[in-house]
Amino acid sequence: MQKRVAIGELVLAAFFAALGLLWVGAAIRMPLWEGFAPQSGFMPLWYGVVLVGLTLAVVVNLFRQGEGKAEEPIGKPILVLAVFAAGIAGLEPMGFGPAVFLMLLFMFVFIERLPIVSSVLVAGGTTAVLFLIFRTWLKVGLPVGPLGI
Amino acid sequence: MGSFGDLMTGFATAITPMHLLMCFAGVLLGQIIGVLPGIGPSAAIALLLPLTYGSDATGAIIMFAGLYYGAQYGGTLTSVLINVPGESSSVMTSIDGYQMATQGRGGVALGIAAIGSFIAGTFGTLGLMLLAPPLSKIALAFGPPEYCMLVLLGLTALAAVGGSVMKGLATGVAGLLLGTVGVDPQVGVPRFYFGQSWLLDGVDFIVLTVALFGVGEVLASCFTSSAEPILNVGRVLPNREEWGQAWKAVLRGTGIGFIIGVLPAAGATIASFVAYIVEKKLAKDPSRFGKGAIEGVAGPESSNNAASAGAMVPMFALGVPGSNTTAVMLGALIMFGLRPGPEMFTTNANLVWAVIASMYIGNVILLVMNLPLAGLFARLLQIRYSWIYPPILAICLTGVISHANNVEDAWLMFGFGVVGWLMKRYDWPAAPMVLGLVLGPLFENTLRQSLTLSHGSGWIFLSRPIAATLLLIALFAVVAPPLFEMIRQRKAAPVEA
Repeated sequence: MQKRVAIGELVLAAFFAALGLLWVGAAIRMPLWEGFAPQSGFMPLWYGVVLVGLTLAVVVNLFRQGEGKAEEPIGKPILVLAVFAAGIAGLEPMGFGPAVFLMLLFMFVFIERLPIVSSVLVAGGTTAVLFLIFRTWLKVGLPVGPLGI
Repeated sequence: MGSFGDLMTGFATAITPMHLLMCFAGVLLGQIIGVLPGIGPSAAIALLLPLTYGSDATGAIIMFAGLYYGAQYGGTLTSVLINVPGESSSVMTSIDGYQMATQGRGGVALGIAAIGSFIAGTFGTLGLMLLAPPLSKIALAFGPPEYCMLVLLGLTALAAVGGSVMKGLATGVAGLLLGTVGVDPQVGVPRFYFGQSWLLDGVDFIVLTVALFGVGEVLASCFTSSAEPILNVGRVLPNREEWGQAWKAVLRGTGIGFIIGVLPAAGATIASFVAYIVEKKLAKDPSRFGKGAIEGVAGPESSNNAASAGAMVPMFALGVPGSNTTAVMLGALIMFGLRPGPEMFTTNANLVWAVIASMYIGNVILLVMNLPLAGLFARLLQIRYSWIYPPILAICLTGVISHANNVEDAWLMFGFGVVGWLMKRYDWPAAPMVLGLVLGPLFENTLRQSLTLSHGSGWIFLSRPIAATLLLIALFAVVAPPLFEMIRQRKAAPVEA
């Protein structure tokens, strides 16, 4: 029987374990107990310890059972993530409207290879609807760029 | 009679034009969400949260409730017409529903699902109306130790439902841990903000929910870019013979669904599995199942809708969610400044009864909409996911920025989105993490209060009967699944040998 544990799952487990350790490290520098009462560091310390323990137990279980899931290709999600990150990064310099429009257009045209005219229409329509709902209707202050949108 | 009077007051609130519109919007959105791939009701509610922030809480919760049970039916369309369950609670429906569709009886499968869902939803709401108020009265006797154990029960029960209890517990604890970011509510000392002043308010519930359920789901599903060919819907109303076969299954499914829905974290998926198994066991000719038996659609469909109503009993009465979606709704209640739990029926009675009343109305809307419009909803299946997911990401981004009004939260959402993707990919449940974040402050406060009351002794949780009982149930929820699995494997071992 093939026993293989997905690298991605180990990365996820490592993230949770690191989060737990970070909390333990910070909590032990806080007051833990005073008189009868637990203080600010008490619960975070326990959360950190339990999280590390549970994550280790999951990892041990993964290796014991070899219940690794078949890895799916990650190319497309990574590409989507990269465009999404570029969209977020563009919010302040470009403003909400252009950043979201370009993000959508890039996903439709370059990632999904969809027809360009339909892509422009859907990207523009989506951006306009979001702008109308949040900025015009709900009066939310969205990031504004040189174009004023 | 008390509940009946309260219900009438609830109807008076629910039939105002705005609330009727919210109910209709919720049911309609739920239907669409249920049909579209890659986005579930939890994600949809998460995406709508920023839109409803600062608005009328009653209207928002009415819409979320409508979305919840509307999605249960929406998932049926995909199960029946393309053999792809839109929701996990529709998995059982696809077995016989798709077979019916291939025999040209897809419309009847959808029709009986709509009628069954209506009957189940109505009876389920009746059960919610009768059961939740007395349960909340019992819970009014709760002090800090009982509340603390109740939160523990909610977290462990939700963790225990997924594939791995350990993974569920780990994500639940991660949520509790994130709940400590910001200012310690008891002594006002800032902690875990890592020098970032925007983290002093803590990790926002909307940011985490949108990231895990919205961004995470999109990244995990963006492979599915093609549209599925769909089968003809045909006649929708079942004939006399079909109705004769189905009505008992509808009633049994209703009962099973409601009871399972009431159990913390059991939810609609388990309810539909149990209903299907019961129907197959009770059938005179079980060999019909899997080949287009109408009871195989009627039972699970009634069951998952009744479970949606049942799942609201622990949410409203105890503040413990009965499913992933109610976990997000619970967070929404807290976002609106309400405290879910026994006090809801006294301090926010109008809201609770209006939501209950709206569920009756929503079930009627669902029935009226579905019988004639099943074919129209089926056309939504022809939209490629490639057109759907980029706008979902844009909604996630806009929602988070508009709520927090800072780009840092958008980056936080991005980071948790990656975590949510990996969690979805490797079956680490997200709902316990959201619930941990939402209930973390209550858990910490009540635990610290309890330990202060008992002069630091943990005995307080064992010496008070309700707290001890809740603790025992919580332990059972954690221990039982691996124990049952071990017993099952032991039983299976000699057969395999």
